Amino acid sequence: MSLATEKKLDHLHWPLVLCTIVICSLGVWNLASATKNALNPMWLAQSKWMLMGVLAVGAFLFIDYRFLSTAAWPMYFAALALLAGVAFRGKKVLGARRWLQLGPMQVQPSEFVKLALIVLMARYFSRDDVSARKGQYGLVDLWRPFVFVLIPVALVMKQPDLGTALVTFSIAMTMIVFAKVRWQSLTALFAGGIAAAVFSWERLLKPYQKSRIVTFLDPQAYAKGAGYHAIQSVIAVGSGQWSGKGWGEGTQNQLSFLPEQHTDFIFSVWAEEHGFLGGVLLLSLYGFLVLTALDVAANARDKFGSFLAIGIAALFFWHAFINIGMVTGLLPVVGVPLPLFSYGGSSVLADLLGVGILLNVSLRRFMF
Amino acid sequence: MPSMLGIVRRDADEIRELRPRTALGALVVVCALLVLTVRLYQLQILRGDEYSAQSVSNFRKSLFVPADRGMIKDRQARILVDNRPSFDVFLTPAFCKGKERDEVMTKLATYLAMTPEDVERMKQDYQRSWTSKDKLDKFRPYLVELDIPRDHVDVLEAHRSELSCVDLIPTPHRNYRVGSSLGHVIGYMSEVTPEELDDKPDEFRRGQTIGRRGLERRWERELRGQDGRENIAVNARGQHLGREMDELLIPENERLIAAVPGNNLVLSLDERLQEAADAAFLGRAGAVVAMEAKTGFILAMVSRPSFDPNKMSGRITRAELQKLNEDTLKPMLNRVMNENYHPGSTFKVVTALAGLEEGEITATSTLFCNGGYTMGNHRWRCDKPSGHGSLNVRSALQVSCDAFNYALGDRVGLDAISGMAHRLGYGQPTGLDLGREIPGIIPDSKSIHPSTGSERSHAINAAIGQGEVNVTPLQQAVAYAAIANGGTVWTPQIVRRIETPEGKVVREFEPQLDVNNGRGGKLDVKPQNLATVREGLFAVVNEPGGTAYRSRLADVHFAGKTGTAQVMKLGQKQKLDPATQVYLSRDHAWFAAFAPAEDPEVVVVVLNEHGGWGADAAAPAASKVVRAYFELKKRDAVAMKAVQ
Repeated sequence: MSLATEKKLDHLHWPLVLCTIVICSLGVWNLASATKNALNPMWLAQSKWMLMGVLAVGAFLFIDYRFLSTAAWPMYFAALALLAGVAFRGKKVLGARRWLQLGPMQVQPSEFVKLALIVLMARYFSRDDVSARKGQYGLVDLWRPFVFVLIPVALVMKQPDLGTALVTFSIAMTMIVFAKVRWQSLTALFAGGIAAAVFSWERLLKPYQKSRIVTFLDPQAYAKGAGYHAIQSVIAVGSGQWSGKGWGEGTQNQLSFLPEQHTDFIFSVWAEEHGFLGGVLLLSLYGFLVLTALDVAANARDKFGSFLAIGIAALFFWHAFINIGMVTGLLPVVGVPLPLFSYGGSSVLADLLGVGILLNVSLRRFMF
Repeated sequence: MPSMLGIVRRDADEIRELRPRTALGALVVVCALLVLTVRLYQLQILRGDEYSAQSVSNFRKSLFVPADRGMIKDRQARILVDNRPSFDVFLTPAFCKGKERDEVMTKLATYLAMTPEDVERMKQDYQRSWTSKDKLDKFRPYLVELDIPRDHVDVLEAHRSELSCVDLIPTPHRNYRVGSSLGHVIGYMSEVTPEELDDKPDEFRRGQTIGRRGLERRWERELRGQDGRENIAVNARGQHLGREMDELLIPENERLIAAVPGNNLVLSLDERLQEAADAAFLGRAGAVVAMEAKTGFILAMVSRPSFDPNKMSGRITRAELQKLNEDTLKPMLNRVMNENYHPGSTFKVVTALAGLEEGEITATSTLFCNGGYTMGNHRWRCDKPSGHGSLNVRSALQVSCDAFNYALGDRVGLDAISGMAHRLGYGQPTGLDLGREIPGIIPDSKSIHPSTGSERSHAINAAIGQGEVNVTPLQQAVAYAAIANGGTVWTPQIVRRIETPEGKVVREFEPQLDVNNGRGGKLDVKPQNLATVREGLFAVVNEPGGTAYRSRLADVHFAGKTGTAQVMKLGQKQKLDPATQVYLSRDHAWFAAFAPAEDPEVVVVVLNEHGGWGADAAAPAASKVVRAYFELKKRDAVAMKAVQ
């Protein structure tokens, strides 16, 4: 092992590595319970994806993250191309086209689009000379980042995948907020957001998406109908009480009262079987992950690295917050995976690459 | 590389400027996580018990275990009604949604060979469960088909795995061993209606059958028993998870709560006499009642036409039901106690008793019949236009002279007649323990309307059981029993005792005085007056010239009175065919009898609706029932001796 590598190992953000490993391990363990009665052992497939992710991250650490700036546009267009491929040739599951068959694998390009978008936005904000714009961004100055985000969001909405579109948009907005934007512009953005929401409600949203939001507002009225998922999830979480029913003992999970318990509702499985204590533990782990990302951003070597870290922080934050909010009945059921917990190769790979970016940025914080 | 360094320095500055925002971001993140933590605390700690209970009720499916309904037996413990094992098909809507629903319903329709009508009903009930205000309704199994044949049971069992939302519940069903002759007495069973369920949700469950009419309804609470419950563990699709999971998830004392069977009814009715009475009655419509004269216990009770309780309790089609309801002879009407009839000449005992008690006549005083009676400018004609000549009260009953009674009625007045009628139990429900009963009508000076004629003319009509006087066959039995037994007015009863399934007596019924007659169940007339009337009734049957002389029996003396009640003239209804028209305008034939005349044990009342002459169309039937009573008595005595 060369001296340089050894030094790099010293600089590696070990707490972040440890935190990721713990989340991944708990995730696989939990998945094994959630799919105890399933025919194929999903926890094994999930472990393989994680292993693949770890290898990819390991390889990625040898490359300076600034290379991403150079590759930003090709990556962005490649991701868009895959997304367009889904729109036209995608595999239809439960009424939505989200997957693309690539050789033996099924890929969900929308997961990678988030990463590509983060990289492109980071590149944009790091290269753009703010001082030329009187030191702060006005609304008009932001038209380019908006175009960056709206194209993939539109394609994702077309699948349709409201949750991913929402998360993608939220990540981009978070990065914009972190750039120097005038507060007036933020206010205008907020107003625009409301207008956009109204417009989407009237024109863009599919009936099933609307019904999800409506049932969120009054799930009891739709018990066993559209609100069934929400209610069963809340019952699962609530019945966990202090310490849960124990691994593999959750009746809501094991007896199939929880819908999609291995993907969107994986947190309910965790909360049912490990209770309030387990729930708080997991929340703390995600909190640590996001706060670490913000810390990496604050201490990055350059603006590009900083914005990358902010993007990744937003990625984990929004996924975790929307997912847990949704399964505990605080937010409508929109279908967002819980990072490193929900079953799904693309999602796991993208999340691990996100951690890889954080490690990379943090690793090179002292290098010029 | 000064420019490069410049960029880096500028970057460093700007990153430093970013720090307040990342700090703010960190604050937002912490707050958001706190919100989620509070939410978890709220759900898991504050409301944890509630959600725990809900998660339990999710996988817990409660199946009812139907209780055995009590049996109904006759006075000699012959089983009239018991239960036979059978299966009902139930469906739980919550476990059967969308495509699965259509598949299951198609399969059920095929496997059970359901009629399109039944399929439609199944679908409607399914829909109703989802739209019900009660959210739990869709978790409650509803009845798809009652009492399915054995081969259908086999088919369903074979396809059980495809029909996870369908339950085959072993339910004992009613087995009516006697045919339609006891239909009105016993009643039948049918499913509770949605309205009844709404009314008493605690008392009934969906798909439960309850007693309708007759004893089944009147003694529902005694007969029903208490359903048990079996709790099993199911998954989200309602599939049973097996015994092992039951033991794991459901506490032992809640797994099976045994059913408590209902009590048995032992009747005073004699099945053999019932059959005899049914066979003796030859008319199209009418009633026969046989009652113990000294206790008021019912021995036989026929109302014709009747219905088959097995058919009514089973899968009767809508068309058959409609036919029953539209039948002009009204098979669902219990004529023994729920229809008004003019008593005709059978009511003359009331006039005679009133006259004797009021002192208007004596046992020997006579009145002259010249073929009618005139009051004012109206003349009431006697049956015999040439006149009966001079008659006393005894011979007036024997030949059933109308003119004698017109004159007597005019003398004693309406209120004396109605007073005596009430003492005999007319004009009020008798109180038979069989359910709803009409009171009949006994006019008095207060109840009559001036436009319907003077009080005197009412009295004259009432004297021969016409005008506004209306009675039921059951009231006739009570009244004639009182005359026969020396003046005790009994409340008729049909249940002798209630027993547990093991045969332990829960309740024994003693003869009960009809305290509603105004005299505490006593007739309160002079014994010699009662004897005079009984002599008249004896002459009716046993002396030449008596109206029922042809129906007398050789080995037993019975007494009685014929009645031929005029029917109100029908308006010319165009819809009725001539044959029906003729039938409906014929008189009702009555005969009220008691035997043996010397020491009466049994009262028999026969009403033959539109049968014509009482002497021809009712007396022979009554005679046959009386004979059957004594034959059975003799046979039982022989059997008893053989046992000893």
